[in-house]
Amino acid sequence: MPLSAYLIMSAILFSIGVVGVLIRRSPLVIFMSIELMLNAVNLSFVAFSKFLDTADGQMFVFLVLTVAAAEVVVGLAIIVSIFRTRRTIDVDEMNALRG
Amino acid sequence: MTSTLAIQISFLVLAIASTASALGVIIFKNAVYSALSLILTLLFLALFYLQLGAMFIAIVQILIYAGAIMVLFLFVVTMLAPDASESEVRDPLRWQRIIAGVLGAALVGTLSYLLFTGAAAQGNVTNAGANSLSYMVHTRGDIEAFGLALFHGFAFPFEVTSLLIVVAILGALVFGRRT
Amino acid sequence: MLNLSFWVLLLPLLGFLILGLVGRIMSRAVILAIAWGACGLAFLFATMSFFSMLGTTPPSAHTIDQVVYTWVNSGTLHIIFGQLLDPLSATMLMVITGVGLLIHIYSAGYMEHDPGFWRFFSFLNFFIFAMVLLVTADNFLFLLIGWALVGLASFLLIGFWYQRHAAVAAAQKALVINVIGDFGLLLAIFLIFSSFGSLNYYDVFSKLGAATAGSTTITAICLLLFVACAAKSAQLPLYMWLPDAMEGPTPVSALIHAATMVTAGVYLVARANPLFEQAPIALNTVAAIGGATALFAATIALFQLDIKRVLAYSTISQLGYMFMSEGVHNYSGGIFHLTTHAYFKALLFLGAGAVIHALSGEQDIRQMGGLRRRLPITFWTFLIAALAISGIPPLAGFWSKDEILSSLLAQATTTGNLWFYILWGAGLLTAGLTAFYMFRLLLGIFMGNYRGGDYVHEAPPVMTVPLIILAVLSVIGGFAGSFGLIGLARWQPLANFLAPLVATVHGPEVPLGLEWTSTALSIGLDVLGIFGAWVLYRRGFAYKENRNPLYQLVLHKYYVDEALSLLIVRPALAVGRAATRWLEGGVFDGGGRNLALLLRGTSTMLRRPQTGYVRNYALAILLGAVLIIVYYAVRG
Repeated sequence: MPLSAYLIMSAILFSIGVVGVLIRRSPLVIFMSIELMLNAVNLSFVAFSKFLDTADGQMFVFLVLTVAAAEVVVGLAIIVSIFRTRRTIDVDEMNALRG
Repeated sequence: MTSTLAIQISFLVLAIASTASALGVIIFKNAVYSALSLILTLLFLALFYLQLGAMFIAIVQILIYAGAIMVLFLFVVTMLAPDASESEVRDPLRWQRIIAGVLGAALVGTLSYLLFTGAAAQGNVTNAGANSLSYMVHTRGDIEAFGLALFHGFAFPFEVTSLLIVVAILGALVFGRRT
Repeated sequence: MLNLSFWVLLLPLLGFLILGLVGRIMSRAVILAIAWGACGLAFLFATMSFFSMLGTTPPSAHTIDQVVYTWVNSGTLHIIFGQLLDPLSATMLMVITGVGLLIHIYSAGYMEHDPGFWRFFSFLNFFIFAMVLLVTADNFLFLLIGWALVGLASFLLIGFWYQRHAAVAAAQKALVINVIGDFGLLLAIFLIFSSFGSLNYYDVFSKLGAATAGSTTITAICLLLFVACAAKSAQLPLYMWLPDAMEGPTPVSALIHAATMVTAGVYLVARANPLFEQAPIALNTVAAIGGATALFAATIALFQLDIKRVLAYSTISQLGYMFMSEGVHNYSGGIFHLTTHAYFKALLFLGAGAVIHALSGEQDIRQMGGLRRRLPITFWTFLIAALAISGIPPLAGFWSKDEILSSLLAQATTTGNLWFYILWGAGLLTAGLTAFYMFRLLLGIFMGNYRGGDYVHEAPPVMTVPLIILAVLSVIGGFAGSFGLIGLARWQPLANFLAPLVATVHGPEVPLGLEWTSTALSIGLDVLGIFGAWVLYRRGFAYKENRNPLYQLVLHKYYVDEALSLLIVRPALAVGRAATRWLEGGVFDGGGRNLALLLRGTSTMLRRPQTGYVRNYALAILLGAVLIIVYYAVRG
């Protein structure tokens, strides 16, 4: 398959993830959408790695994976602590910074 | 020829499946269903990686992403009101959905346009010879090729990620305390 | 020749400063010692300089110009303060310090019970200093400074009893009108400097000649100078402040508004006579306004009911005489009348002050009468002064008035111009009116039935001695004038004294017969006036309500003040109120307020994107990213 096919696939998955971030109100689902976006990008990287015949893409994916793991850990910890104080996990309830 | 056709058919099937499960992530009201859809998407992506010849990455994707990260997700989801439906409370931002849909479509459309009309991906080998991946794979095997690339060029970032993981653990511990 | 003019200037200044700074805690005796000492020594030095000048033989050596202080010396601009001691300034100094000293002495009695005793004497000394500065300055700039300072002294002294609203209002009025005159003088100075390059009298006068005669610049200069004179000497149309200035204590009215300050205008015209000689239009204006004012003020004085108002209008009228004289080239005649007027007018005011003092502040002549026996010295000195001002020979007023009338007639016969005849007629008529209202006043105060209590007593010697001295001067003061009338044409000591300074001393001579006619006419009119007053007021003043509209018009001083209030004061106040409301409230305050509102409004608008919803912020980020991508897609 040509490179552009994989890239378009990545673009579709990325856009789905973006829309998910914007329309869902549960922070957990938002987080999952973010993970989806990261994975879409991973797909791009691997596609390029194949087509440029270099291992650098896969290396990057490896690192992205690690960082995603760390990020999920911290993010979920934050969500849990918010839940403990606020008893709600609706993102729209957190509008204390309104101007 | 048949291998090309097989590749095309498998690509198409995987494409449709992963798109459907990705849509499922954002559509399901129940967070657990969303998480399960995500796991499915990750599996399909791993199959994509296999198709692209990234063996190690595919396995790692399943092991780490689907196996560890998503499990963590599910822990938290089930802990925090998994059945709560968001449509109980009225959405204060009614326009958000519409605009988000429009923008998402615009994003996909524009990117596709760019990718179609942009410079054709040559599939060129920018580095020939000994550094070429296909060569390494051909001579040493997949895993060894991956390992050599990782520890020769990316040793430092690899070490730094261990530091990153330590910091993340500490952060999680701090946030997780009951004060 | 002895020149002590610097000390004459400095001593009153020192007196003012000392009394002003520490006078509050001094005893009466010390205050009087300093005040009398300063003025007395100033008079002494002025006299010494005067007699030394008389003794110096060539009359051209009578002038000394002494530099006191060089102020500005840059390029072509030299401003040097110098003092000029010449016959004119010496004569003025004698009058100022002499009459000033008498009034200082008188004030010790008049202001005896006033808590502001020290303030009064410090202001009096300040006035003497300012007036001396005015007459001894050798250039127009320091003349202006002295001019403004005497205006300030007048303001301070008119408003001396500052708790009275009427006094403060009168002081303000005087200052405002005087400033109009100051403005005229300032403009004249600008013109002089731009035309002649210097402000020193001799520098300017030496540049005048046949080439500059009749030029419009010089006419403009002279007219502007006369504006200043009209304001300071209360001529039409800037006379309104002088009657109101009677709110000040009577010694102030005597000194400033009779004898000295108001004569500064006459002095200025005499000093600048080379300029005026070159501008016939200006000179005719001076004479015309002088004549009109003399007659106008005399008519008002006929019906006034307040002692000091009658005397104030009388002063305005007599000042008109002086300007008439100067307007027909007889400058020494104007100065002569200035000196005689100083004697009898000061005497009249001080006598009125004695009456007011005796009656504990009463000034309305309807409440007076029959004081002849109770205030004898006051009565006799007042009578002498009234006779003098009416022009009865051989008292001082006769000689000076007659000289003015004869020079008017001389000008009329030489030029054949009808207007000068009219001026002469106006002068005669005014003389008659003067006699009438003066004796109306005298008889009203001193004759008739006595209406007061039993505590009316004659003034103390400290007040009556100056009265007597001034009465003596009123009798003999006329002998410094011209005796051409009785055939001794060479006897004109004052005119000869002033000769080096004035243009035409020996003006056009009138044939003796015509002059006798004029004199006889004036004496006749004076006697007629006195007789008329005698007939009407022989038994004292009996006020009858008179509804005649013409009478009411003159009684209310032709409603000039009311007209001014309507035409100028009220619009000005309205403009001020409008400015406060609209300009300050609307524009300045409003501008600030509206600016704040504008800022608040825009900030409210700009706060709308800060919704607090994270999803909105994410949408915004996406929007930006999509825009960039679309831009690149379109760009190709």
